[in-house]
Amino acid sequence: MSDSEPDRPTDDHVPDDEFEPVQVFPDAEEMDLRPGADNCYKCSTCDTNCPVAEVDDEFPGPKFQGPEQWRLKRGDDTDIDPSITKCSNCMRCDHACPSEVPLSQMHNTARGEYVEEHLNKRSLEYVRNRILSNYGTMARIGSKVPRLTNFVMGLSVTKWVNDRVLGITSEREFPKFATETFREWWDERGGAAASRERAREARATSGSESESESESENERKSEDKRVAYFHGDYANYNTPEVAKAMVRVFETFGYEVCVPDQRCSGTPMFANGMLDDARRAARFNVDTFRELVDDGYDVICSCTSCSMALRQEYPELFDFEGTETVAANTYDALEYLRIHEDLEAELAGSDVDAPDFAYHTPCHARNQGLDGQTLEVVDAIGGVEAHDVGDSCSGISGTYGWKTEHYETSMAIGEEMFQHMDSADADTGLTECPTCAMQMEHGTGYEIRHPLEVLEAALSTDVSPDQ
Amino acid sequence: MAHDTEVLVLGGGSTGCGIARDLATRGLGVTLLERGNLTHGTTGRMHGLLHSGGRYAVSDQASARECIEENRVLREIAGHCVEETGGLFVQRPEDPDEYFREKLQGCRECDIPATVLSGAEAREIEPYLTNDIERAIQVPDGAVDPFRLCVANAIDAERHGARIETHAEVIDLLREGDDVYGAVVRHESGPGKQAHARPGTTEEITADYVVNATGAWAGQIGAMADLEIAVRPSKGVMTIMNVRQVDTVINRCRPKGDADIIVPHETTAILGTTDDEVSDPDDYPEEQWEVDLLIDTLSELVPILRDARTIRSFWGVRPLYEPPGTGTEDPTDITRDFFLLDHAERDGVDGMTSIVGGKFTTYRLMAEQISDHVCEKLGVRGSCTTAEEPLPGSENLETLLAGMDDFGLRSPIARRSAKRLGSRSQEVLETDEPNPVICACEGVTRAEIRDAISQSGTDLNGVRIRTRASMGNCQGGFCCHAMANELSPEYEEPAVRAALDELFQERWKGERHALWGEQLSQAMLNYALHATTMNRDRDPAARSSALEGRGEDDGETTAAESIDYGAFDAGRGRSAESARERIADGRADAPSRRRDGGADGD
Amino acid sequence: MAIEDDVLVIGGGLAGVTAALSAAEHGDRVRLISYKQSTLRHASGLIDVLGYAPDRGEGESREGDGRSEGPLSDPFDAIPDLPTGHPYERVGLERVREALLFFDAIVGDAYEGGHTPSNALVPTVSGTVKPTARYPASVAPGLASDARSTLLVGFETMPEFDAPLSAAHLRAADVPFPVRGATISFPGELRDDAKRTRYAHILDWDESVDTGTGAGSAPGRAVLAETIRPHLEREARLGLPAVLGEENTGVVRRDLEERLGVDVFEIPMGPPSLPGMRLEDLLYGALEEHGVRVTTGVPVVGCEASDGGRRVDHVLVDRKGQEVPYRADEYVLATGGLVGKGVRSSRDGVTEPIFDCHVPHPEDRYDWFVDDAFGDQPFARFGVAVDRELRPLDAREKPEFENLRAAGGVLGGYDYAAEKSGSGVSLATGYVAGRRAGKEVRR
Repeated sequence: MSDSEPDRPTDDHVPDDEFEPVQVFPDAEEMDLRPGADNCYKCSTCDTNCPVAEVDDEFPGPKFQGPEQWRLKRGDDTDIDPSITKCSNCMRCDHACPSEVPLSQMHNTARGEYVEEHLNKRSLEYVRNRILSNYGTMARIGSKVPRLTNFVMGLSVTKWVNDRVLGITSEREFPKFATETFREWWDERGGAAASRERAREARATSGSESESESESENERKSEDKRVAYFHGDYANYNTPEVAKAMVRVFETFGYEVCVPDQRCSGTPMFANGMLDDARRAARFNVDTFRELVDDGYDVICSCTSCSMALRQEYPELFDFEGTETVAANTYDALEYLRIHEDLEAELAGSDVDAPDFAYHTPCHARNQGLDGQTLEVVDAIGGVEAHDVGDSCSGISGTYGWKTEHYETSMAIGEEMFQHMDSADADTGLTECPTCAMQMEHGTGYEIRHPLEVLEAALSTDVSPDQ
Repeated sequence: MAHDTEVLVLGGGSTGCGIARDLATRGLGVTLLERGNLTHGTTGRMHGLLHSGGRYAVSDQASARECIEENRVLREIAGHCVEETGGLFVQRPEDPDEYFREKLQGCRECDIPATVLSGAEAREIEPYLTNDIERAIQVPDGAVDPFRLCVANAIDAERHGARIETHAEVIDLLREGDDVYGAVVRHESGPGKQAHARPGTTEEITADYVVNATGAWAGQIGAMADLEIAVRPSKGVMTIMNVRQVDTVINRCRPKGDADIIVPHETTAILGTTDDEVSDPDDYPEEQWEVDLLIDTLSELVPILRDARTIRSFWGVRPLYEPPGTGTEDPTDITRDFFLLDHAERDGVDGMTSIVGGKFTTYRLMAEQISDHVCEKLGVRGSCTTAEEPLPGSENLETLLAGMDDFGLRSPIARRSAKRLGSRSQEVLETDEPNPVICACEGVTRAEIRDAISQSGTDLNGVRIRTRASMGNCQGGFCCHAMANELSPEYEEPAVRAALDELFQERWKGERHALWGEQLSQAMLNYALHATTMNRDRDPAARSSALEGRGEDDGETTAAESIDYGAFDAGRGRSAESARERIADGRADAPSRRRDGGADGD
Repeated sequence: MAIEDDVLVIGGGLAGVTAALSAAEHGDRVRLISYKQSTLRHASGLIDVLGYAPDRGEGESREGDGRSEGPLSDPFDAIPDLPTGHPYERVGLERVREALLFFDAIVGDAYEGGHTPSNALVPTVSGTVKPTARYPASVAPGLASDARSTLLVGFETMPEFDAPLSAAHLRAADVPFPVRGATISFPGELRDDAKRTRYAHILDWDESVDTGTGAGSAPGRAVLAETIRPHLEREARLGLPAVLGEENTGVVRRDLEERLGVDVFEIPMGPPSLPGMRLEDLLYGALEEHGVRVTTGVPVVGCEASDGGRRVDHVLVDRKGQEVPYRADEYVLATGGLVGKGVRSSRDGVTEPIFDCHVPHPEDRYDWFVDDAFGDQPFARFGVAVDRELRPLDAREKPEFENLRAAGGVLGGYDYAAEKSGSGVSLATGYVAGRRAGKEVRR
């Protein structure tokens, strides 16, 4: 600012409107979401959907944390009620709001501001939250020596230290690291080249019935049938069987799969207000997948929180080049097949020898309109049934239920789901979300599977067994 | 003959309240009369701009100088009513460079701090400004809450012995020969704070001197004593946005024109305004094009306004005045200066002076000058301290905010409440009782509502302007009834019901001008809540009351006239006949009157 | 490829669910797609059919003669006299009766009122009484035509219900029973801004709470009962705000009744409404039971026509940026009114956003309302006009599409708030639209 002459042409350095030198939102923390409060008509539907407000006396609910708190803000205010850290980021309020208030965007941004302005960076809480939200970093190290890590994490002394010092609950068992990560398996299997070959074979097999499938036709389809897999950290380090099922299922339908380098989707970072970490991870992922989308790939996730992050949270919180493009071309795995393949016809006559399932829809799946989808697909598979355990939240919400101070809340929220699982006619759980699966297992002792694993089993009669 | 009061001040707007405070602190006996609640007239119907003087820096430099001086004074004495937002005069490409230069020059001549910013710099301050802003002048404009400011003046006047009567309409002036010596007032609800459903009374109040501070209504008051005061009321529309799109006052830097200012006010932004002369300050058309004009024109400065939610619009009437014979055609050309009309000098009628014209920012200065005049008339010596003494609520404000207690409230609620209550926060908010939020839009808690009720009784509009409760996006749909509930048990059920109905209708009045998009959905939801869920539109109690009013002195209603409860479902396996019988029995076992609730309402 | 079904119902409120269930009755493959949660959660959970005859002239205020019109004791009596274009007039009296029977079968003993054609008068949160045709079992003991003495109890931290004031208001409404009110502190460590679901949760699961008497903690229902006990005198029934659990309301009520020896009833509240949520749970349970496929959380954003614009070929569903086609033979539009956002407005006018159906409305915005808040509000009647098959009509009064029907709040021509007819219209039109759609599929 300068006390310049009145007729100094002050904007000479701005050639035109296309080039806008002022970055309106230099950081997500500075985003002004007050206009988002315009949509709120106070009906409190969000509050009635909040699993935390129902059990936690400290949490004022999403309406206050979202549109009301934002509306009360003034430009330079930094007041964010500390209770924002009680929000588990399940995003059920988003799904509920009949008036399209961007609730989770408001919560994420407020939480980011709170952590930035009010949380002591040297506090153990901050350290703990960073550790939890950067699970991938921990996992990368831990999975190098999976057996040792699993041993150490299971030791009671480790749990004691985690609980008392860091505030990571000792009630839960740390997820076991797989002895072979998905990426190790993938590389050993021959990577994208091998996948291309398998997909080509699958297309040739299904195409041979029509006799007319030419080599060039197959090539053309290869252009159409390319997917880039966003597996996320968990499927890589902990449940590679899910990731493998995804690859095999897609190859069965003739898709070439590629598995690019990637970082954590950012979900745990949003939930902990670590927006800087989230921004770095998101930027890397957007850069990687944008190029693939430009080359004709669609992005497929097997974890519904990952697809949620890429589709909704990235565009809400960041504006790197390509964010919208990636968002618009990201799908959940099952969703993608339902849209692009005649899944029901393919599954007709299938017969799977599997136990019946108690199915829980993750909140983040619900948010993407994916509720009901798994039940409909399982319905089309012979020999297996899935029973819906209701629309309650599992309560774990990623890292939330791992914090000592939230453990009880998490379990209280989960109680309804546990009861419904208990009364359902099944002893095995089914869900898309890895942390929901942890909670389901923790609360009931059931083994938990992923829908892709069931689908793989159903299709396997047609699939040549593979490694 | 001793008069009831030394000075009778007519009008409870900023000027009247300022005069009452000034004279009371000088030791005079003062009575103030206001026909509605405080700020009922023009003061309550302005955009809340605390002028830096920048707006007058080209056209009226005397006013500009007064503004910047008073601006500084108010920041000192009324910190809890003022938000130091700063202001920008922004220039669009089509706005004349020449005027921009004159504006800047004028500001400097009038001692108004002014800094030129590039368009980019202006957008750094206000990111929602349009991209094609050329440049801007930054000035110390502010936002002021006229309600709280008037209430603070009135409270201080009362502390110094003044009598403040609201809902007290002057229906005549007492004049004998060439001497005005008082007024006849009709109390809508009996003297003191308002209580609904009490019979009105009239009262003659005599005074040594009368000050007519009724602004746009000054002509009507004058006429009661056969005095002609040619006020030229001019209406202007203001539209309230649901949220603050800007945190700085945004002025359009071009010669006079409609729709050229956005004032951030509390949780909202207020768009202003227009300037149209009207014949009757109580009856003028409020039209769609006026609202549309504000939105369309101001979205040239802040584009997101075009589709943003507005929650209501209101019109204010400026008390413009020009001396006889000036003959200005366009009301925008009429001076904003104020005039002190001593009717002894002007009309040969003693005992009264009228004050007309002027503007809100300089209310204190106007009050000081007329108080000097009154003192001179009454031969009283007393010096003015209103520029130095902080207003109630504003004392020690800095200390309060620095070490602010959260009173067990969520932080933004505590912050907003403390801003409203100023140094009274502790006294009001520190409570052992449960203190739930009553108005969630504005973050107003029960303790604050009850404090306001202790000041304004069943006048829930008075509670509203003290607290902002019901002034947010739902426009009271979700809190009017909860506010009314707080009147109980101090006030009886029929009074509570009347108070609720009055507030609900008042809220509706302004919301009508915002009925599209989100606010229309809100209006439908409010309507559904109050009519469908609460059945307030077909309230059988209102029906019974109406029947009672039809001349049954004993207040008893008969079963035949009220709902025939016996004709309705009494539940499976239950006969509604028993209800009929009970009614026929004259409800022999009506409830005994008990402390925990049985006492009211029959 | 598109996701295919026989009937696609758009909208997940009372009308949409009823339409889906009635279409599914004959084995058609039905999908219900709902964007956000419905306005059921805003509503009291009462099933109003017709409480007052809409006999007021346009723009006339209810302050005037209209107010002397009392509530209708028999809602069906007045239906044949309704003006042309009213949704009940479109479907006819018999269908309204059938729809209520249909509803009764869906909800079973969770609701009462089916034993009589008469309306019941239910005490409201503000102390008025409201005519309604079906009411939750939890509301039943509180009816105003039941002459038993009554105690209302409110909670200090729930400012929208003041029990002593409501009781006084009921007395002013000349109810035929003695009624008092008392305010207590809800047991436990609730914060002053606790949500209603928090109260419900404590009671649902009988959470352990502090007794407040220094005796440590005890189950929530027991402590609540002990807190209320000293306020009860000889009353035969006890009214509490409608927060008596979400899942286990019956158990909560019975427990309190046994402890206190009185009938316990709920007073329906404004949003957020637990009775509304319970009804929603019931309805969605019925959808699952009847094999209706449900997709939620994603909006239908547009449609593609076929057959020269005469039929809806498929609709487009926005799944976080991807537009996915959903195809069916028949469609039911049950997206709600201004509140449910099935009808939208701007300064330029009023529209139906998915199919762009014609919504009749005055051109001048200032003709959308009247000055009395409780006057005859034109905006309350905004919605699509339909033929007798409930097909939305265009500006020339021709059906917009052959295979599109509309039901519930998206319909125009009635003011549910003034008439107290919202749920009844949703049931009757949902029932008819679903049934017709199902029939067309089978044809």
